[in-house]
Order: sequence, then structure tokens, then C-alpha cells
Amino acid sequence: MILEHEIPEGSKLYFGASAKKKREIEQVASEVLSGAGFEEIVTPLFSYHQHQSISNERELIRVNDNANYNMSLRADSTIDVVRIINKRLGRNTTHKKWFYIQPVYRFPANEQYQVGAEYIDEVRLSAVLNRAMAIFERLHVKPLLQISNIAIPRKLSKLLGMSMESFRHINIEQFLSREIPWLTRLVYLHHVDEIDEVIALVPDEIKGELQKIKELCDALQYDHAVIAPLYYAKMLYYDELYFRVIEGNEIYARGGRYHNDDVTSVGFAIYTDALIEALSR
Amino acid sequence: MLTVALPKGRIAEDTLAIFTQIFGERFVFDDRKLILETPNFKFLLVRNQDVATYVYHQAADIGVVGLDTIEEQGLDVIRLLNLQRGRCKIAIGMRKGEKLDLSKPEIKVATKMVNITKRYFAERAVAADVIKLYGSIELAPLVGLADMIVDIVETGATMKQNGLEVVEEIMESTTYLIANKNSFFEKKHEVLSIYEKINAIIKAESKQ
Repeated sequence: MILEHEIPEGSKLYFGASAKKKREIEQVASEVLSGAGFEEIVTPLFSYHQHQSISNERELIRVNDNANYNMSLRADSTIDVVRIINKRLGRNTTHKKWFYIQPVYRFPANEQYQVGAEYIDEVRLSAVLNRAMAIFERLHVKPLLQISNIAIPRKLSKLLGMSMESFRHINIEQFLSREIPWLTRLVYLHHVDEIDEVIALVPDEIKGELQKIKELCDALQYDHAVIAPLYYAKMLYYDELYFRVIEGNEIYARGGRYHNDDVTSVGFAIYTDALIEALSR
Repeated sequence: MLTVALPKGRIAEDTLAIFTQIFGERFVFDDRKLILETPNFKFLLVRNQDVATYVYHQAADIGVVGLDTIEEQGLDVIRLLNLQRGRCKIAIGMRKGEKLDLSKPEIKVATKMVNITKRYFAERAVAADVIKLYGSIELAPLVGLADMIVDIVETGATMKQNGLEVVEEIMESTTYLIANKNSFFEKKHEVLSIYEKINAIIKAESKQ
């Protein structure tokens, strides 16, 4: 039996102070991103292409259109934003910098409010990362920024014959037991000021990837940052330089560089719900 | 400051003994207290099944727990180090003389470890009806509640006393030092420092 006060598990309810915080976060994000030349886009809630954006299709909330084609509720904004701009608005706009403020929905009733930005045909991740951190600064929070490069665990996996699962579970024991000096240094690498020494030690295929982390850190206008070169998470589109913004056990944002139809783009998503909770504390 | 979740009982005592050996000071919980604070560590005494939960939600940065519990819960925590303690097996037990026949159309299995059991039979494409029990698992085949059990086996004596025997081993388990993913990246040097110190002791023990 469902009682009158119940709302579905996973759904979100904001009122009074928390709703005000939500509005404030979205207002600040809108000002920062508009000020940096990003234009807003609101994409359809219903989509034909969400299966391309999500690793587990079972997370989609599916419905059908009037011709009985499969549609689903938006479960991820990035790929839909990029696809609509490239495929549908291609003749109407040449603008490359877009932001969105809209929720995503996952089965059975999970709602997640997000603020995101996509800079299409741009290779510098700093172009969006600095905007994300500017939003946090305006909101007076100083979370930890973790910078990684998903290409490093992929290349190491091939180079050392280790499974991607070892990287996903951060199997330190396995890495250190190899007793390879440069691999040990990669495990311990934490701050950008240590990176040059490690670049000098690692194999050539890893050097370039570490160099990308270094260049990103050099272009960064934020001092509370760490490097995690062995970090790996299975993601559908971020396949290279990647960042997470964390505070305690919460993830405030993540973003990175990705490739779509031979075009390199950069983007991020801020998880509004986690920020509302933090700012309401 | 690192917060360490320990399971009540022998594992906590063994782990605190390792910390005593490393830092040369005694780490002992006062009678019935669940928190032990020292200048560099805060130890929490929790139920075995709750250790990974405390670490996953970052109520603790690191913890010590059996691999069987980690596998059963499936929480996304970092497995830092095999502590080579609390060695046991997760095994299938049946009445003495019975043989494991996975070709039967329906198999009833009683266990505390529902997820490990389901995964084991699913990987072998066997339709198993898994019955969750909270204790006295050995009783289930004896009274016809299940065809077999999946349980933790240390010496095999409990199964033997109840007329059961191990017919198949599913996995071996030892205690692991685990860490919260965000704590690891936030406090990498602290976490790796304690990793190194404990690892040195484990290595020295294995050489003895």
C-alpha cells in the first residue's frame, strides 16, 4: 500500500531553504558560464538516442512514441546536447560553447539535477575546468579537485598485462608487488610539483599522457588539487584527461575530454543535489 | 588523522596488535567503548558485516574485513592489502556421501551469503533457489530445507559434526585492509604510509 505522504524512492523534493539553494547554484552557474561565452540549451526530456549515452541500458526509463519506436527519458545530457547541436542545429548555429541546467532520470525513479557545459571542437580541458571551479568559488566551497587521465590505466593495462579491474579497484598491492620503480612512483604521485621527476622515469607511451596532466595543471587557476594518474572508472565517453571534484564522500562534479564523430570536445557536469546538501548543512 | 573501522573480536585484536608493533604504543579499547582515539588514529569497533559500509560511506577512511564479506556486499571500496589472517574457505556442503549434481532441474541452497551463492550458480548457468538463513546453516540439508549449503569453512569440523562434508570450494578468504576511494586520493600519503608499515610486518611474518 502506498501512503499519502510517500514519494518514489530516488525522487527529489526541495522546498523553502533547499529550493532557494538550488536556485542560487543554478543562477551562479548561469552567470559564470554566460560570462564566459557559453549559451544555454534545453534539450528534450524524451530521446531516441539515450542508449548511446549510457553504459547500462537497464538504467533507462523507456516509453514508446506514436509509431511504437522506443524512446527513453533523458538519462545523460552530454551526448544528446552534442548530437542535437551537430546533427539538428548544425545549419542554424556555429556556436561551440553550450551549457544546460536540467535533470536526468534513471530507472526506476532516480532524479538528478545537473548543471553541465560542453565546449565542442575544443581540446583544452582547462577551458571548461576553470569555469567549473569558478562556480564553486562563487558558491564559497573549496572541494578537492582530482586530475586523472583515463588513457594511462588503459596503456598500462596493455603494457603490463594487467586487467582493467585492477585499476578500477585500485589494486595497490598488485602495482607495488611488481617492484617496478616508475610504477611505484606513479602510485605515489600526488602533487603536480612531483610530476617532472616521474615523467623522466616512465616509458615513452606514458610520458605524453602525464605531460597532458601537467599542462592542464599549469593552466589551472585552482590550488586545492591532487593528481591520480592510475584512477580508472568505466565511462562511455570520457576517454582521456578527466577530473572529479570531491568533498568528503560526495562527488560535486566530473568532466573530461571526449571524442564524438572525430571531433574532440571537453565538458563537465556539476551534481546539483550533492551541492544543495553541502550548502544547506 | 585516519579513522579505522575494525570488526569486533579477534580481527580487531590482531589488527590493534599490528598497530602496537608498528607504533610502539598500546592500542586498547576501554571496556565497552566503541571508539578509541589517539593523536593520529580514530578506531571504531563495528560489526563485521558493517566494516565495508562504514568505509564505503566514509564514516571510516580505512578498515579491516574478510574478503568473503567484501565479495558478498559488493561495495566499491579499495582493497589495499591482503593481511594473510583469518584464512577460511567459502564452500558447498552436502550430506555425507552425496555428490554435487549441477544438472538437476532445481537446486535448493541455504546460505548466509546470498550474493556469492547466486553468482556462483549463475556463472554455471544453474537455476538455484537460494534460501537466506541467519545461522545454524548446517541444519538445512538435514531437515530437507535445502539440498546443500554454502558456508564459511575453517577446519570443516562443524560440518563434519553435523554429518555434512565439503563437496566444492567456491573461494578462499583472508582479511583485507580496505580504503574509501575518496579518502585514498585525499589522504594518499597517510594511507600509503600505513599500508607500507603493515605490509612490512606481513612480509616479515611470511619469511619466518
